[in-house]
Amino acid sequence: MREIDARGLSCPAPVLHTKATLEQERPEAVKVLVDNAASQQNVERFLRSQGYEVRLAQEGVDFAVIGRSGASGTIPESEPAPSAPEASQKIMVMCATDRIGFGDESLGLKLMVNFIRTLKEMGPELWRLVLVNNGVKLSVAGSPVLEELKAYEAGGVTILVCGTCLEHFKLLDQKQAGQTTNMLDIVTAMQLADKVINL
Amino acid sequence: MIFPKDDNVLVGLERADDAGVYRITDDLALIQTVDFFTPIVDDPYWFGQIAAANALSDVYAMGGVPKTAMNLVGFPIKEMDIDVLRQIIQGGIDKIREADAVLVGGHSIEDSELKYGLSVTGFVHPARVRVKNNLRPGDRLILTKPLGTGIINTAIKAAMAAPGVIDRVTRLMAALNRTAAETMADFPVHACTDITGFGLLGHLAEMVSGSGCSVRIESRKVPILPETAAFAGMGLVPGGAFKNKSFRQAMTIFDADVDAVMQDMLFDPQTSGGLLISIASEEADALAAALGRKGVPAADVIGEVLDGPLEKIFVS
Repeated sequence: MREIDARGLSCPAPVLHTKATLEQERPEAVKVLVDNAASQQNVERFLRSQGYEVRLAQEGVDFAVIGRSGASGTIPESEPAPSAPEASQKIMVMCATDRIGFGDESLGLKLMVNFIRTLKEMGPELWRLVLVNNGVKLSVAGSPVLEELKAYEAGGVTILVCGTCLEHFKLLDQKQAGQTTNMLDIVTAMQLADKVINL
Repeated sequence: MIFPKDDNVLVGLERADDAGVYRITDDLALIQTVDFFTPIVDDPYWFGQIAAANALSDVYAMGGVPKTAMNLVGFPIKEMDIDVLRQIIQGGIDKIREADAVLVGGHSIEDSELKYGLSVTGFVHPARVRVKNNLRPGDRLILTKPLGTGIINTAIKAAMAAPGVIDRVTRLMAALNRTAAETMADFPVHACTDITGFGLLGHLAEMVSGSGCSVRIESRKVPILPETAAFAGMGLVPGGAFKNKSFRQAMTIFDADVDAVMQDMLFDPQTSGGLLISIASEEADALAAALGRKGVPAADVIGEVLDGPLEKIFVS
């Protein structure tokens, strides 16, 4: 097991040390030693967000956060580099559905999941993702693309989720990604965007 | 400790408010405040603006108008180019000008760590001082800037925030609370404070203490910068949020569905945060609408004041 001694460090240093080790070595199992509850919680969250199963242990006066790699225990490559080039245009993608195309439902869902994952290839030009009608279901608990949406948000993409639609489907309190929005925001975004892609 | 007393001190040390208030005549009182800190952004010009906006904010939170300011500088002159200091002070001057106040002096010392801030003096009518804890049952609470600057600054330190996010949070921190304060002046506001290092719930705890009231906050209505939850979920929560939370644990009662990430965001220490305003419920929507029209960063009714005498914060 790879051990990281992050005692004596304050947030976010323990997370940064863990992140650096994961990126370089991608260990199957990792144990991070910290000396305060704040660092323990942060490292725990970070390991979970990277697909590790996490166990906590007390070691004397210190805390150990032990992560074991799950099926997808690697760092996603979607993290934005701070030196990312400035976007040359603003692309707004509007999804009025949680399926792509008509016909087979499960194929449609699979395509949509793949579409959302692949959108990142647009790079910094991806400016806003707007979810309306059935599209809002992509942003709620249990959605297969929730992690992707959160990663886009963390990378600076604004995700707008139609409040009227959430209310219609009684999903207002289930939304886990994006900002609840209204038609005025959506129309304004369309006006400001250089390109609007409808789905 | 025993503090010197003076009948003209309308708000002093024993009340621990945002600034001190001293009555000069029956219709004029002086607001005095001082605030400085170490850099929170890399760009010196923006750091100057943010530090100045943060110092000026205490005058706005008391319901006053800033008039004069003085620089406070600690600078490692042997290791750092003097041009860095020039840019910081230029940022401060530009912000002071935006507030229609003037820089009248200052003091600098050599310091191993860079520090900058202002001492600010403002005016207020003695009858229009907005103290912290004058909450009334039935009031609504309005917040004028979204939360999340502490967590996002942590993500910036971790090099995990995109340039667009950095830009947005920098501008938010540098935004004056002037418009919010001027708008609030036209309304019968009961109490006000500004949100800084203790986070929303930490500053709310100060409002509640000694008010004889409790409050309920609806976490879903609290404006929060959109990237904050994702970063907090990845473990990029500053240590200050944990300190704020453990300090106010006894006062704060969370509903079961308010998750740990949300709790951390509500305790996230803010730099140059917005005003938190307590106003009678029948006036609250009008004030929120007026704030919205004037383009303050947020104008959300986030909760209400309940009957005492518990002095607790309920979060749903």
